[in-house]
Formats: sequence, C-alpha cells, structure tokens
Amino acid sequence: MGTLLTAVKSKMYIFAHRRARGMLDGEYAAIFRGRSLDFDDLRDYVPGDEVRDIDWKATARVGTPLIKRYVATRRQQLLFVADTGRNMAAAALGGEIKKDIAVMAMGVLGSLAIRHGDSVALVHGDGASSLALPAKGTESHLEQVLQRMDAATLGNGPSDLCARLEYVAAHYKQRMLLVVIADDVNADDRLATVLRRLRAQHEILWVQVADAELAGPAAAHSAAMDVAGMETLLLLLAQDPELAASYLDATAARSRALAELLKSNGIAATSIGSTTLVLTKVFALLERHRRAH
Amino acid sequence: MALKYWWLVPLGLALLATVVVVLWRRPRAAQELIPVAHADRLTALPLYKNALARHRTWLVTALAALAVLAVSLIVAAARPVSESTSIPEQRNRDIMLCLDVSGSMLDTDEAIVSVFADLVGNFKGERIGMTIFDSSAVTVFPLTDDYDFVAEELTVAKKALSADATTFEYLAGTYEAAGSSLIGDGLASCVNGFPATTDTKRSRSIIFATDNMLSGKPLFTLAQSATLAKTANTRVYALNPNDYGSIPSFVSAAQGLQDTARATDGAYYPLESEAAVASIVNKVQATEAALLKGAPRLTIVDHPEFALGAALLALLVFGAASWRLRR
Repeated sequence: MGTLLTAVKSKMYIFAHRRARGMLDGEYAAIFRGRSLDFDDLRDYVPGDEVRDIDWKATARVGTPLIKRYVATRRQQLLFVADTGRNMAAAALGGEIKKDIAVMAMGVLGSLAIRHGDSVALVHGDGASSLALPAKGTESHLEQVLQRMDAATLGNGPSDLCARLEYVAAHYKQRMLLVVIADDVNADDRLATVLRRLRAQHEILWVQVADAELAGPAAAHSAAMDVAGMETLLLLLAQDPELAASYLDATAARSRALAELLKSNGIAATSIGSTTLVLTKVFALLERHRRAH
Repeated sequence: MALKYWWLVPLGLALLATVVVVLWRRPRAAQELIPVAHADRLTALPLYKNALARHRTWLVTALAALAVLAVSLIVAAARPVSESTSIPEQRNRDIMLCLDVSGSMLDTDEAIVSVFADLVGNFKGERIGMTIFDSSAVTVFPLTDDYDFVAEELTVAKKALSADATTFEYLAGTYEAAGSSLIGDGLASCVNGFPATTDTKRSRSIIFATDNMLSGKPLFTLAQSATLAKTANTRVYALNPNDYGSIPSFVSAAQGLQDTARATDGAYYPLESEAAVASIVNKVQATEAALLKGAPRLTIVDHPEFALGAALLALLVFGAASWRLRR
C-alpha cells in the first residue's frame, strides 16, 4: 500500500471515530439506486443504511438490525473522472494545491468503494489527451489512481474537464458510479450536453475543488501566476473594493449557473476548499445523493 | 553653457545602461508566485483592465522619472558651467596730488583740485592724498580712501586756491624754508607720503603740478627726487602750466620736468590752459588703469540649478508614482 492512500485512510479513521463508526460505509452503500431483487445475504445494520433495506423479520429473529444485500449492490464500478491539467496544480480556496484536495476526496471515496467490494477506475488527462486506468478492486490499484492524480503539475497541459467527460461518454457503455473531480468550470452548453448524456447512463457525484479567490478580502495579497498563460497576475490591483465586488458577483453568478445545471440533471455536488473539509463534505455529498432519490 | 567634466556623461550613461542590462537579465525570482487557475475570470473584468492600465501608466511614469533623475544627476555631476573671460580692472591705485602752491601755480592747482573733486565720487578702492609745497611741503591729507573726507578737503582746497580767496591761511607752513618752489624737496615729500612698505601691490602715481621755477637751495635736487620716486616705484605725471618754449629758463625748467617724468615712467604734459587739466588728468587716470589691467581671467560660473531642479522634480514624480504603485 502506497503513501497517498495511507494518509487518506488515517484521516478517515479519525473521522470514523468521531462520527458513528461505519457510517460512511453505509452512506456509500446506499448510493446505488439500481438494486436488483436477487437477494444475496444479510449483514449488520450500520447507521446511514436505508431503513427500507432492513430485513425486519431477520432482525426480529436475531435481535439486532440486519440489512438485506442484493447482488446488484455488489461489484459496482466507481469511475473517477478527473482533469490532471495544470489547473489542478493551482491554489485552492484554502491555500493548498487543488490536486491535494482531489487526492484526498478520491482516496476517501475510493477506499469506501474497495471496502464495499467495488472496483475503482480512472479517466484523467490534460489538454486534448485522455487516459484511462482500468477498474480494479485492490488498494494498490487505488494508490496508483491517486498517484496519477498527484502527478498533476504546472508542466502539464491546459485543463479541459469536458474533454474527459466526453471521453467517458464515448468509451464506457456499462453503468457505473461516476465521481467527477471538477474545479470551477463554466456551465456552458458543451458541459450541459455531455452531462445530459452521462446522467442517463450513470450515477454521478460532482466533487468540486474550489479555486482560490483572486479578489476581495480573502484573496492573496501578493503576486500570482495564471496557470493558463503562465503570466504574472497583479492581485494587488484586485484589492480595489469595486473591482472585488464585481469579481465576487461574477463568481457567484457562475457557481449559481453550475449549481442550476447540476441540479437540473439530478447530480449531487459539493465544493471543497481544503483537505480538512474533505470528509465532512464527502459525507454530506453521499447523504444528499441518498436523499435525492 | 558647457559641461566641465563632459566625459562623465558617456561614462554615466554607459554605467546606467550596464545597470539596466544587468537588472533586466537577472533571473527573476519565481518565488511567491501563487499559481492560480481561471485567472481570466479576473483579468477579463473591465474594472481590472482599467486598474491594470492605470498601474501601467504609473509604472511608465516611475520609470521615466527614474531615467530623468539618473540623466539629470549625471548632467549635474558633469558640472554645467558657463565660462567667460574678463580683464579685471584693478582698483588699487594710490594717487598723490603734489601741488606747487607758489603764486604762479594757484590757478593750475585749483583746476587739478576741482577735477579730482569730481573724480573722487567714482573712486572705489583708490587712495588719494594731497601735499602742497612751496619752500616746504605740507601734507593736506595723507593717502586715504575715506572719500567723504577727501571730497570735503578738496572742496576746502578748491576754495582756498581760488582767485577770490581772501587769506593765505591754507598755505600756512609752505614757506618755512628760505627760497620758493623747492621742487626737489616737494617731490621728495610727496614720495615719502606713500607708505614705506606695502603688503599688497598698489600702483603709485604722483600728479605733480609745478612750473619748476626754482629759487633757493633745495635739500634734494629734482633729479635726486626723481631717483627717489623711481626707487619707490612711483610714476610722476608732471603738469607744467608755464611751458613757453622760446624762453631759455623755461626751456630748462620744462626739460627738468620732462626728464623727471621719463625717469619714473611717467609723462609730461605742458599745460596751455586750465581747461585742459581735466582731459590730462583723465588721460593720466586711463594710463594708470591700463597699466594696472590684470591678466585676462577665466571666470567659471556653475549652473547646477537646471539639472538639480530636474532631478528634484523627477524625484518627486518618482515618489508619487511609487506611492501609487504600492497602494
């Protein structure tokens, strides 16, 4: 087992102890709507499990709540769709590098999937080229997935999340759980089209890594570098209150538009600004997804 | 206007260029640059574009001010000067009026005194003294540059020497010895009227008005006095109102005065009328002034005000611009 996954799991362990143990697992297990009626076995209830999955008769017999497991809930595939262009090597809202937050989120969800017996795949890439890692259910594979994400540097090509999504739409026929690791993308027609296409086929979770603010009180006061053009950016100028207000307005309008788009497609989304928030946000995301159905 | 150390300008500019090139080519520290994504969302805002344009303007202003500052300081260092050549007229003449006050000379004396009474108003630095003599010499006033006093004394002398003067009190003490017009003694007294030693180099001249009608036995002959004057580096300008060429006694008298004047590098002026005194005195003055003309002097006047003023202005502009940039 590699270093990235170890770090993620140690954080998850602490989180699991703070909340009810196993709760994350239950939340994860409840993701899949498409249950078949082929009964597989029973397992212990963990908080977060669907109440309607409780086998009341068996529970009455045993004395502790038991959950019915169906064949369809097993052997799911989790596909991370992440852009590893240089946008991911930029600063996040909390000041960390965006890819660190992405690695943490992918680690959490990936280890939940592997514990659940599912396999994890990855579609990533920069510029126009998309690459894929096949689905496997081992921790070493998950580590490899995380390493790919961690390899996003400023030397990579430009970011294009839509290209990754279009790649998925073109290459994956089987129904999967898609976890899209996005940043502040524009809710444009191209994205709307590919999302409409994907959501008909897959279950989608939207994890947004929040970008650093460039204006306003929370923004950095020094010089920055635009990763798109690799040119120096004078954030000093953005301290002007009027400019900051117009920037924040534009940002708010953009995130509203994206939220609208995701909501209209029935996609649960979360926005994460720092690694310390990953577990709470992921938990909330799973919860929101479950409630939505 | 010229630059005294003109070579400083190319040197300074070369140095400036070197500094600019070195600063330009220095690898810029890439630290502290926070990589951010979606910066176009900030840079596309019209307000940001305006702010950037303003920032650029101030940056250009600051750079221009810095360039002006550097160039004007280089120019100031090269010392802009204006050079002019002047021949200074030295005002360090000592003039002794040496007047024979025997009866035949009084008209001439009055004319000389009144000319000097007019001249003294223009004096700056000259010293003037007056000695009258007949058989013995009397110092009316010693060499002095107290022009008010001199003017006063000359007015008194003018009045006393005029034809309508009622008394000869003014001439008291000039006939203590036997004889009349003891010219050699008179001239010797005048020569002694100059200070014995001088620290500063001042020209000495004696306006010697006499007809050289000697009667009696002087202690010094005219020739001896002339030697005395020459030794004391004093020029004698002799004015003779009674130079009537044909009469032998006058001829020898005039010749004696001419010799004296020549011996002391002075000049001899036969006087035909009292009206000519003014022009002669002016001529003497001009000669003295010409003798005292100093060597042509190169005067260098610094003009740092433009360069330093420009530098100050540039500094102010630079300060304002960098304050704006830092905000």
